[in-house]
Amino acid sequence: MKYILVFLLIGLLSACIEISDDLTLNNDGSGTLRYKINLSASKVKVNSILALDSLGGKPVPSKTQISAKINEFVRILDAQVGISNVLVEESYTDFIFKFSCDFSSIRNLQDGIKVSIAQITNDKVTTAADQYWLSWDGNTLVRSIPSYVTQQIKNYKLEDAEQLKVGVYTSIARFERPVASFENKLGTLSKNQMAVMVRTNTFELKENQHLLDNTIVLTPR
Amino acid sequence: MSQHFKMVLGLVMALLFGTTAQAQIQQIQSEQLLPKDAVTVFSINNISLLQKISMDELVNYEFMSEVHQELFDGSTAGKTLKDAGLDFNQRLNLFYGKSNTHELTGFTFGISDKKALFEVFDDFQVVESPLAGLEIYGTFFNQLLIKDNKAILIRIEPTMEHIDAVTDSIWYARGNEMPFDFFEEAPQEEQILDEQTYEDNPNTNVFPEATENPAVKNYYELRDSVQVMLQQAELARVIDEIFVQGINLYNLDPRFAAQLTHNAEGVFYLDNARNLDKSEGLWYFQTVLPTLYKDIQELYAGNVILGDLFLRDNKVDFEVEAQYGAALGSIYAQMNDAKFDKNVLAYIPAQSPAYFTYNINLEQAYEQAYKVLLPLLTDEKNAQIAMNVLTLELLNEFINKEALFDTYKGSMFGTFNGIKKVKTKKIEFSYDEETFAYQETETETEAEMPIFTLGFTTARADIPEMVLKHMARLSSRIQRFENYWRIDNAILDAAPLYILNTGKLLIFTNDEDLARMHPKGYGKGALAKKERNAARQSGFMYGSVDIPKTLDRFPTEVLTPRNAEIVSSLKGKSGQLILTSSETNTEHTTFKLSYSYVGAESTGKHLLDLVNSLYLIYTLNP
Repeated sequence: MKYILVFLLIGLLSACIEISDDLTLNNDGSGTLRYKINLSASKVKVNSILALDSLGGKPVPSKTQISAKINEFVRILDAQVGISNVLVEESYTDFIFKFSCDFSSIRNLQDGIKVSIAQITNDKVTTAADQYWLSWDGNTLVRSIPSYVTQQIKNYKLEDAEQLKVGVYTSIARFERPVASFENKLGTLSKNQMAVMVRTNTFELKENQHLLDNTIVLTPR
Repeated sequence: MSQHFKMVLGLVMALLFGTTAQAQIQQIQSEQLLPKDAVTVFSINNISLLQKISMDELVNYEFMSEVHQELFDGSTAGKTLKDAGLDFNQRLNLFYGKSNTHELTGFTFGISDKKALFEVFDDFQVVESPLAGLEIYGTFFNQLLIKDNKAILIRIEPTMEHIDAVTDSIWYARGNEMPFDFFEEAPQEEQILDEQTYEDNPNTNVFPEATENPAVKNYYELRDSVQVMLQQAELARVIDEIFVQGINLYNLDPRFAAQLTHNAEGVFYLDNARNLDKSEGLWYFQTVLPTLYKDIQELYAGNVILGDLFLRDNKVDFEVEAQYGAALGSIYAQMNDAKFDKNVLAYIPAQSPAYFTYNINLEQAYEQAYKVLLPLLTDEKNAQIAMNVLTLELLNEFINKEALFDTYKGSMFGTFNGIKKVKTKKIEFSYDEETFAYQETETETEAEMPIFTLGFTTARADIPEMVLKHMARLSSRIQRFENYWRIDNAILDAAPLYILNTGKLLIFTNDEDLARMHPKGYGKGALAKKERNAARQSGFMYGSVDIPKTLDRFPTEVLTPRNAEIVSSLKGKSGQLILTSSETNTEHTTFKLSYSYVGAESTGKHLLDLVNSLYLIYTLNP
């Protein structure tokens, strides 16, 4: 598993990457999480890496191995309480990976992901996944970037700063009723006032892992 | 001092010291300690560093300080290699050998001051010697054997297969059962003794009973003992051969002895026939097809690679001769009997940082190999091989060999033309302002890619053309243009591959410039006359690498940070590598690899600067 993570890390951070996490939250606390990783701008580089047997002394996984590990994650997550409709789209032509799942509560979502990660890896990620990155009281959503993502970004060296600067992380939260306020100064509100989006480049996110943290308050029902 | 380091030290010293050639011819000494089982030997005559670079200058290199730290511990602080007691008037010979049961490595050298030597080899203990006049010193891994003013430092390792075979034999002969619990499904829980319990209750005096008899060795202890005994027995055999019977590689192989008479700074010897004999990869042949294996052995008989290293003004030359027996030689001779295809020269740009040409006659090589190898295979009484022989013979009869070998004649060329930006496509995520609804948009982008060209000589351009035409009907990614074919996304799923079918050459490249602008060659922009002649006059192979140009254009981002740093540090060094082959006949082929550079510094110093650069990078980035 750690080799897969090494690959993802290389793919995620040394190449020009676009990440999007898109949370749709219903009034009753249920919702949908969509997570997309786009490496199409670096497909030459990713293909070059995949053509190697090893990189930096570590074996490079094949597409089949990557796909198998992703599908194992999906299978485990789909079996968790309160999680349904887990879907994954993998494109090894453009290197775009799209994940989505429905959840009955954000607690179920976080627990489900935590258990799934714990089951497919014994890596440090397991510890980091113990933390919660979302909370919802019916009116206020407090969200951050999952620590197992920010930790990896933090560990990355500054040597690839230029690559990181062109990478983009987009975090979107969508609701069933209008947003009354939000704290993050980088955030923008959609014209219909039902969604908040925060975007930054991966370099700045490395410098400040809390850059995308946000507290969003909705209008009363 | 680490044991492993001493072996490495031998290599470092071998690279640094030697004697004058005159002295070697008159005073052959340390090489007579080389075991006959040595398959590979690197023997240093005289790198002339002591003449060209003073010892004081040498010891100032950063990598030498490391050597000093390892060699000289606290009790020998302040000393340098000058104080190591080595006799620089004798050769230093590094060797590696492998038999079916053992591996042996080490080096032989001369001694000028034994007392000084043991201040360096300070962890060697005296071992009782079976021979008068032979001193033996040992550590856990290595043995140092000294006679008069010559020494051999040797490490003998029995192969694991041999150790296991002997251990198993003893183990089962003693009536033991299989030592591994293969069939136990549940692992036994380990009982851990809590010492605190007994310390807190000293009066109980109840310690658990030993579960095994300490006087009887378990399997692993037995295996360790076997390993030590095999090492000792092999050492005794080597000592007897070298110091009693006078059997050594120098006396046994006249080719090696003759090579040592060369007035070269370094000599390389690799007995490929014996290397093949000990090759683990051929165990299947050895065990299942012994007759065929014996035939292959005979085929490789006499296959030895001999090399001379010369340090000349602003140049390092490595001249290699591959010798072989009549059967193998007849195949090589036919293969290399090819006329140089001058058409390739038009497609090598003058500014190409690295390129090669390769001329062989595949048809003649095939016919000769068929003639030599088929009888060997036919004699083998094995069903699978018999079927393969039948298939081969049928194909030989039915296939139009003329068409096949006219299409692919065997000669080729390749160039590296640096890095260029190629157009590719990417997907961008976008979100509308109203609801942040997500969309994907395809846009153009550029990616850096190394540009390579590979071309093959052909006399049947119609055949690849026919293949491409049919392929184009099957896939829209393959398109015909006026002078070339283009296959989209063929390179790393991102960039197109261009195929030029000139009638005499079939060229594959990812260089759009070559395909579109130079389909008939680079004309005046091709290789200069001097380089063209050099390539043409070389034997079956010619290669050229302009080191700074190649490294300047090398995409360091595809390397690990450390390797990228190494490449970056070497960018400051000038230098050119030229590989040429000259004569090929039924007895031998000769090659020459030349490294030349521009600058006032001496050749030895230039090499040492390179070594030091690499050392600094590795030590600064542990």
